[in-house]
Amino acid sequence: MNSQLLALVALQDLDLMIREAKDPEQATQEEELGFPLSGVEKLERTRERLAKQIDERLLQLYERMSRRYARVVVPVEGRVCLGCFMGLPTAAKRNADSRTVENCENCGRILYRI
Amino acid sequence: MPTASSVERRSETHLETYLRPTLFIPELKSKKKSSVLEEMVAHLAQHQIARQADALLEVLRQREALGSTGIGKGIAVPHARSTMVTERAVLLARSSKGVEFDAADESPVHLIFMIVAPPVERDPIYLQMLAQIVRAVRLAPARRRILEAPDFAAIRTLIGTQLSDE
Repeated sequence: MNSQLLALVALQDLDLMIREAKDPEQATQEEELGFPLSGVEKLERTRERLAKQIDERLLQLYERMSRRYARVVVPVEGRVCLGCFMGLPTAAKRNADSRTVENCENCGRILYRI
Repeated sequence: MPTASSVERRSETHLETYLRPTLFIPELKSKKKSSVLEEMVAHLAQHQIARQADALLEVLRQREALGSTGIGKGIAVPHARSTMVTERAVLLARSSKGVEFDAADESPVHLIFMIVAPPVERDPIYLQMLAQIVRAVRLAPARRRILEAPDFAAIRTLIGTQLSDE
């Protein structure tokens, strides 16, 4: 997996964690079980730093697609996009260039190969 | 107190379903929080639960930055959802000497339940497992028995019995 994809995956995981920590219902449940969630601002600063490491166009694509999908970066398993579960063409391009990524032709999600 | 037959008859909780003998570290080698997380993530990677160990480790570290998962009384439940996780899993580890885990009560941690799952929004099973772990180890005798249990099968039975008693 190229470094840009890895950074995107980390960003996506961080975004989910931040969203959940800010979700009143989810946060209350975790806090009632004894898990404090006081470091949201720290996570937001980490997110800012991480976003700066990602190519601007790629980041914009991710941010745009995040408004549509909860998971923008998804794995490919057996030539199937695990975002929309549609098959990918056999000759689908593998991204050798560290600054480009492969998108699902059906849903547009950013793909990574396992 | 349930009888042996009633324990057999009842349906398994989510937590028991996910407790597997391969996902058990009887005695952790590491003594510090950061290296314990590393050791446990390496175990998950070895069993194909983590696609990339480093990336999952980073997510768990970020979760600790959000707030320590050392909930006190010698228990920690590090947990995170990550794109790098292939399936929902619980890894149980014990440390007889104890691990410094920035726990709420500052006491060393002896039992660590690591929960990982793919990044599905509002995953009710994930939250139920967190709640079941907290319930299973709420009482001191239960914690002691789990720590002293001779093997994984005994721990699994103890946890099942504890949850059915509630």
